[in-house]
Amino acid sequence: MARRASGPSKVEIPMTPMIDIVFQLLIFFMLQLKILAPEGNFNVNMPIGAPAPPKPDEIKTPDIKVRMVADAAGNLAQLSIGSRNLGNDDQAFDRLNGAILGIIGRPGNPLTKDVEVEIDADYELHYQYTIRAVSSCTGRMDMQTKRLARYVEKIKFAQPRKPKGA
Amino acid sequence: MPKRNMSSSTLEPDMTPMIDIVFQLLTFFMVVINFENTKADERVKLPKDVLAKPPESKPKEELTLNFGFLRGSSGDKLDPVPKLFHSGGEYVVEKFKPLLEEEKRVAIARYGKDALTDMTITIRADFEVPTGKVQELIKICQEVGYSKFSLKAIQEEVVQSE
Repeated sequence: MARRASGPSKVEIPMTPMIDIVFQLLIFFMLQLKILAPEGNFNVNMPIGAPAPPKPDEIKTPDIKVRMVADAAGNLAQLSIGSRNLGNDDQAFDRLNGAILGIIGRPGNPLTKDVEVEIDADYELHYQYTIRAVSSCTGRMDMQTKRLARYVEKIKFAQPRKPKGA
Repeated sequence: MPKRNMSSSTLEPDMTPMIDIVFQLLTFFMVVINFENTKADERVKLPKDVLAKPPESKPKEELTLNFGFLRGSSGDKLDPVPKLFHSGGEYVVEKFKPLLEEEKRVAIARYGKDALTDMTITIRADFEVPTGKVQELIKICQEVGYSKFSLKAIQEEVVQSE
């Protein structure tokens, strides 16, 4: 049998179109990329209409009322829980967190599912303070485990107040 | 000394390492990119909180509402009235109800009549928006028929004190 003298010819695949497409894809994904900080959620309990009346055999736990008063610029002027004033400094929210813990006893207590916090804020109050209040009522971060120790699951807003001077 | 015959050879650069790197970059950007965040409007400066952790389970259906201020390049407010940034437009809260009605019609057509009960309204509000305005927005959503609400905040790093 005769042997072919010449070996297999080298097939050259045209790489240019592939590289073109790959570069275009690369540029597309690079331009689409946005470096954003991770975002988290706080769920609020706002059912439509009046709340359902409690069943006769059900013991209704009274709502915890958190009141936030704003100054003219929208900053926090006073934070209070029930009739107890917690101040308006940075530690006010820590005190709120401690007060909520005092009411529920310990994180994970079955009471945490029943207790409801109602946040009543002035119209002008900056939203960041409302979120801090929601966070303080929700629980606290356990520094060792880096996990949430949950205090209250149900958080709602009171009826919106009228703007000052309206 | 033998003379090297270079007359007929063409220079062919080795493309393999470059293609390797380009493919690795492409894979990196494809993995890192998050199309979910396209709902987020960059003009909204969210409040920060340590407990704001990304949710473990995503809501079944979600409508994201971006509520913030028109700000200049330095971050100053150009208009003191907060606006809802929706579908490329800017709306004050009082005039947002017709758009929510439209969203409701679209949701019902797409997901059926249970769409409103399954739908979570995710509010991305600027840290300086008056709380009363956010409450007005929630009230309008309730009037349209939405009942599940979620408030967004940026996750703040925990600083461990000694």
